[in-house]
Amino acid sequence: MQLASTIRGRGYRFGSVREVLAKANPKKSGDDLAGVSARDEVERVAARAVLADLTLAELRANPVIPYETDELTRVVEDELDEQAYRAVSHLSVGQFREWLLDIGTTGPTLRAIAPGLTPEMAAAACKLMSSFDLMTVGSKCQVVVRANTTLGLPGRLSSRCQPNHPIDDVEGILASMREGLSYGCGDAVIGINPATDSPESTAEILRAVDGVLKANDCPTQHCVLSHLVVQMKALELGCPMDLMFQSLAGTQDGNRAYGISIKLIDEAVAMMKEKGTTRGPNQMYFETGQGSALSSASNHDADQVTIEARCYGLARRYKPFLVNTVVGFIGPEYLEDGPQISRAALEDHFMGKLLGLPMGCDACFTYHARMSQDELESLKVLLGAAGCTYLMSLPVGDDIMLNYQSTSYHDIPTLRRLLGKRPTPEFDAWLAERGIWAGDAPGPNFGRAEAIR
Amino acid sequence: MSRTRTLIAALRAELGAADPLPPPPPIPAIPAPPARVYTPRPERSGYAAHAAKHTTALVGIGHVGTRYATDVVLQFQAELAVAHAAVDAELPADWAAANGFQPVHTRATDHREFLLRPDLGRRLDEASLAAVRSQCTRGADVQIIVADGLSAVACVQSGKALADAVAAACGARGLTVGTPIAARYARVWLEDEIGQETGARVAMILLGERPGLGTGDGLSAYVVYAPRIGKTDGDRNMISNIHARGVPVEEAATRLAALASAMIAQKTSGVPLDLALLGLSRERSPRPPQVRQRLVTRGAP
Repeated sequence: MQLASTIRGRGYRFGSVREVLAKANPKKSGDDLAGVSARDEVERVAARAVLADLTLAELRANPVIPYETDELTRVVEDELDEQAYRAVSHLSVGQFREWLLDIGTTGPTLRAIAPGLTPEMAAAACKLMSSFDLMTVGSKCQVVVRANTTLGLPGRLSSRCQPNHPIDDVEGILASMREGLSYGCGDAVIGINPATDSPESTAEILRAVDGVLKANDCPTQHCVLSHLVVQMKALELGCPMDLMFQSLAGTQDGNRAYGISIKLIDEAVAMMKEKGTTRGPNQMYFETGQGSALSSASNHDADQVTIEARCYGLARRYKPFLVNTVVGFIGPEYLEDGPQISRAALEDHFMGKLLGLPMGCDACFTYHARMSQDELESLKVLLGAAGCTYLMSLPVGDDIMLNYQSTSYHDIPTLRRLLGKRPTPEFDAWLAERGIWAGDAPGPNFGRAEAIR
Repeated sequence: MSRTRTLIAALRAELGAADPLPPPPPIPAIPAPPARVYTPRPERSGYAAHAAKHTTALVGIGHVGTRYATDVVLQFQAELAVAHAAVDAELPADWAAANGFQPVHTRATDHREFLLRPDLGRRLDEASLAAVRSQCTRGADVQIIVADGLSAVACVQSGKALADAVAAACGARGLTVGTPIAARYARVWLEDEIGQETGARVAMILLGERPGLGTGDGLSAYVVYAPRIGKTDGDRNMISNIHARGVPVEEAATRLAALASAMIAQKTSGVPLDLALLGLSRERSPRPPQVRQRLVTRGAP
């Protein structure tokens, strides 16, 4: 294995595959904070030159965290589809990138190959790609999932309606949710981050949301994003629950900091199969985001892109209905500004789709990161063009509980018109029937929350 | 002529020589759109009236096409500008001394480095460490620290009032309070080093919290028992949203002094601390939603 390269006569040597992967990343404040990034732009390219010649087989043999010390590495290695892996294992990362971009490499082929790829392979290709490269391959991937409705079909752009409330006032949540539905938002899920992480409060919100959806015959899914254990207790209280949520980290230690393990997620998934209220087969909702492992000091000297890909390596075990990278939420110490947040969003979407997941993106920023509202609007168009499965949606994009800026109820119909996209087929038919949205234009009840019972 | 040229020539002939677009339609009368004013007028809609009682989310704001009305755009931009201004503000160099605090600095040397390097904001620089060792009372029950955190605006606005109120509330419970300290470029965990160096039984940092839209004046308080470097978030108790529209200063001070007493009595803090013995309700406060203020007025004040 060759871990050296030369740029204009100057030699660069790297100590490990993990180091090559880290130094090949575009600049991110989180990699600087972790002390794993290249020292300058030339060393970055030198690392990419080494990476381009490593084979996918060499990447499989050198996971960034050893098999013996991390259960995520074990899950990826033990469950890898050998037949799919053998089809690409001989390619170098540079050749793999070219094969992905080839017009002849289509969605169905990518779907067949996905189970044979390790997270490190997806991350490695990502590091050799520009924004357009990431979008081109991301938009080719076919990931279609089904719970109550069918998500991810070509030509569709869905949204999570996120009617959060600082003190879980259920009437306040429902008011915001009705407004969202009247703008055509919420076809991916009605998902509420609770202020109080208790089973009773989770059940109370789910019952209330379920009541509104049933009263309006609205075809979507609901979810309250409390901790996995809290949701399991809520299920035992006998409440409706279409999707079960959990945040994932890309390392065993990171997940321990979240209070979860593979064993616990396995139990939760089994419980959802029995007690969940969707027909399935996809019933889980996961959220991820670059930098989360470092924030709990569990990054094992790996870079944040590769660790993020490892989240997807774990997520695919559970065939989720939704995976969402909450890209700008973590703060400027991991993604400093608009360009870094935008790049990370396209990277995560690409890696997740390549590994076979229904990727959505919370395109967002906190108020101490350097990103403007115009930059954020541009990112949503890039994601829509890249085939991103769903975005968030809130009143003017302002989360009054979590204090950050995301996608708005107004942005979703705007994007659908700009990009020629539609919501899920089931929701599309419901909007037409309710006079909210017809074809590609607003109907008479557009923006009229009063029209939702 | 090449096949390609023939093909293009035929296509050009078919398209003709006329203007590519038909003439525009006659100019219509353009009446001014109906007034769309932020905040939505509850008297106009039952939905807006009901929503306003239960949430401060910007709902019921209507739309023009699929976008926002001009008045909403201005409100939204003003709210963002206020939040960004709060993040960008820095604690004036002479603020600490002028308000009776012992000034200290962390290892972050400028504001950008402070935002990007949380590790530096958790430790005192050498001069400040020496000052804390030589100037501050040792062995008090409670060490109070005010700090900029992510909003110097909040610190300047109510940091002193909160520190004084907490000191008074601690005194009323018979607790001794150390030399008040004000820290620049500070993160929460800075209280661990300061508390360790002053030998306080409880350390309490009151610092500006990450601003939300239209709000940059909230303080959070983090309290830890037996402070020393290496404490984690699970070792701390906190109160957030300390501002006029959230938890008022006096109420926060009462709760913080009660927390400090409980920590000293139970010799622990964070997850193991039994809050039921505090005599304060654990329940979320039943306060009504904060009123969202209209920030923009056209014309002179």
